[in-house]
Formats: sequence, C-alpha cells, structure tokens
Amino acid sequence: MGRLEGKVAFITASGGAIAGATARLFGAEGAAVCCVDIVEENVNQAATDINDAGGKAIAITCDVTDDDAVRTAVDKTVAEFGKVDVCFNAAAYSEKRHRLADMPLDMWKSVIDVNLTGMFIVARHVIPQMQAAGGGSIINVSSIYGVVGAKERPAYCAAKGGVRMLSKSIAVDYAVDNIRANSIMPGPIETPRLLARNPSIEAVIERHGPRLHQKRLGKPEEIAQTALFLASDDASFTSGADMIVDGAYTAF
Amino acid sequence: MGRLEGKVAFVTAAGGAIAGATARLFAAEGAAVACVDIVEANVKKTAADIKAAGGKAIDIVCDVTDEDAVKSAIDETVSAFGKLNVVFNAAAFTDPLLPLHELDVALWRKTFDVNITGMFIVTKYAIPHMKNAGSGSFVNISSIYGARAAKKRPAYCSSKGAVRMLSKSVAVDYAEDNIRANSILPGPIETPRLLVANKNMDDVINRHRPHLPAARLGQPMEIAKTAVFLASEESSFMSGNDCFVDGAYNAI
Repeated sequence: MGRLEGKVAFITASGGAIAGATARLFGAEGAAVCCVDIVEENVNQAATDINDAGGKAIAITCDVTDDDAVRTAVDKTVAEFGKVDVCFNAAAYSEKRHRLADMPLDMWKSVIDVNLTGMFIVARHVIPQMQAAGGGSIINVSSIYGVVGAKERPAYCAAKGGVRMLSKSIAVDYAVDNIRANSIMPGPIETPRLLARNPSIEAVIERHGPRLHQKRLGKPEEIAQTALFLASDDASFTSGADMIVDGAYTAF
Repeated sequence: MGRLEGKVAFVTAAGGAIAGATARLFAAEGAAVACVDIVEANVKKTAADIKAAGGKAIDIVCDVTDEDAVKSAIDETVSAFGKLNVVFNAAAFTDPLLPLHELDVALWRKTFDVNITGMFIVTKYAIPHMKNAGSGSFVNISSIYGARAAKKRPAYCSSKGAVRMLSKSVAVDYAEDNIRANSILPGPIETPRLLVANKNMDDVINRHRPHLPAARLGQPMEIAKTAVFLASEESSFMSGNDCFVDGAYNAI
C-alpha cells in the first residue's frame, strides 16, 4: 500500500529534475499525478515514465503565469482523476547574476511573475478543489535563498522569501478547511540546471566552501522524499513549516 | 519492509506520551528500540507493548542527567543490539508557571539540567557509536516555545531554544561523519501531562487562539511520524533543521 494511495497530485515543473523526481515518487506511492510543465517534451516524458512504471499520470503543458491556462489545467486534472488533494508548486526561474541597481525592471518582473505570482495562481485554482475534497496539502518549493541571501540574485531571493510567507498565509487561512501548506527550502541540489550554470559539480561544492558540511550536493530524490512526507497524512499536524533540506547549510 | 529496518534507536522519555508513541512506531517500522525513562513502570510498559506487537525492545531505567547512568544505558543498548543509529532525545522537565524574578535558581538549574544538559550527555555518549556505525540521526525535541515565548516559563523557553542550537551545532560538527541532527518543535500536543495542567482540551485550544488555526491539538502519533521521517534515510540531506509540527501555530 503506497503512502499516497487514493490521492491526486498536481505538480508544476514536472519536466524538471526536482519536480520530476517528486512526480515519479508520488506515482510510485500510489497517487494519480497531473504532470505540468511549460516544456511539452519534458512533461510528456515524466508522465510516460510514471505510466510505464504502472502508475497513473497525465501530462499538461501550461505556463503557470497564465491564469486561464492554470484554471484549465486544474479542471482537466479533476475531470481525469475526480479531485485534487496535493499540489507541489515548483515552477521557478532565476535571473542572470545582477546586483539590484544593475537589474533591468523587466528581469525583476519576470522572476517575481514565475516564482511567486505563478504559485499564487496555482494555489487559487487548487484551493477550491481541496475544499471540495475535504482537505489537502500544498507544498511550495522555496529555497535556502528564501532564508539567507545569495550574491547578485535580488529577485530570486525576494521571490523565494515571498514563497515562505505565502505558504504560512495559506496555512493560517485554510486550516479551517483542513488544508495544510508548507515550504521546502532546498540547499544546492545536483540538477542539470545547476550544471548548466556552473563548470562542474566540484566547482559548486568548492564555491559553497564550509557550508556544505557533507561535501556533497543534495539529490532531487531527497527533496522528493521530503515532499512525500508533507503530502502524506504523516504530516497531518505540520503546516506553515519551513522544511530546510540543505545538509545543515543554513545551520552554520 | 519497515522504514527503519535494521536500525537501532535509543529513545529517552519512552515512558511518556510523545516518546512512547515514537518508540512504538520506530519498532513497528523495524527498529530495535532501547526504551529509556526515569519512571520504571512506564518504560517497562512501552517495551512490553513493543515486544507483544512482535518488535524488538529493551527497557532501561535511567536519569539522563546522570552521566554514569547514561553511559551504562548506551553500552547496554549496544551490547543488546550491536550498534546505535538513531537517538530520540525527549526527556524534559516542566517547570512551574512563574515570572523570572519569582523563579528559584534551583528550579532554573533543574530545568536546564534535564532539558539540555541531559541531551548533551546522551549525545556525547551516542556519537562514538554512530561514528562506528558509519552514520546516525539525532532527533531532538524542542518546542514551539523554543521559537516563541510562553508566558511565565522563562526556564522552559530558554532551555528549548538551546535544544534548537544544540541540534545545529551537532549537525555542523558531525556532518563529516554522516551524522545528522534535527529538532522537532511540537505545538500543543494532547498528552496526559497537558491534561493534568488544564481542565480540558477545549480550554487549551481557546487559550491559544488564534494560534491553533485548525482549532485542535496535535496527537503524540503526529510527532512520532515526523520522527520516523527524520530517523530514516528519507531525510538524508536534512540536518540542522527546525521541524515545526504545530498545526501552523508558529505561522501566525
């Protein structure tokens, strides 16, 4: 018996490494998964992998900043699987490195739009479905850079700090509906996206110096396992929490 | 296959509600459990329940502030089960409600002795065994009152704040040994101890408004389930974290 048996999950950025690992784990634990991403090929792959492994999944190509498209995606999930119980909000975008005064306004707006407003839009459409289902769990991917600063990433840091408080606001307002909301703050995770921004994994470990105490990056599956805990009824009294999954990065 | 199959856990305050639920759940998930408590009848009951359910347990009567007794208890655990992988540090003393200037120095010292020095002693003797085992996980019980003040509980709040930082210190210093340490910060949990101090649970919920947005207390088993996650390999990149399990208490 899977830990998410009978649940329906809506997962944004499913074509990416972290949300892709989460979608696959949720599928393996018995959830029906709606895989959502802006990149069609990647999201189709995630859904195909889940279905091939004997799970239940559909793929939807959707831009989370498009209110109508998100509404349609949530409606399609409900039409297919009957409800929404779990939402994993992971769609994110990071600016190229700039200090604040050097950053074009459009760049700022696009980061806030994807990382924060997109999460608001997804939450605003899944919450009524969770109310109808009698409860739910919203898992928002923030970052350690929602807790501590990163150099030359003002928009990303601000947006990820916003994610933390968005989760707490939902936790407080919708507790009466048995809806929980929590944030995950990953430390540096070994993803293709991280590799594209850096010459090598070793260079990333070197750059983070003494704060990566285990001398390694996290793996997408380690975020997925945390999401599984938060999505499941094991976390029934956990709401408004910041789950920092960073190998003690921010403890130092 | 249990989520803690093959692991050995040392659980303090195992005669109490929260650690008792945790000891039972750890065993149900496959761990061999050393149940430790200062009250003999209670700790024997927990171990007996685990064995009656087909699990592995021993009971040890031990005062966590007594260095020699803790050393013997850990040695006894290792000789019974061969190693030590997980420590659940929950022993705590509840001081009487008093503003700081009315609190005796003796009561302050007693609170710190049990709540934080006891944790130091247990941790000190567990670490060499975790190093031998190649890895380990400490799950330390702090409290929401380690993050926010409760009225007239200066010693308890201070000691629970210290627990948070003890966990982070262990996380940073022993990451290279693959030892993790996290705190759980429970909100108000429905325990016999809480009921002794209050007329009924509704009074407790009312007193905490608006901090309990779901209008209910937590259950010991909800802390136990969080502890299983932190004790297991599922949380392998999680260390130094404050795991709030408080029904969004700290979010408002």
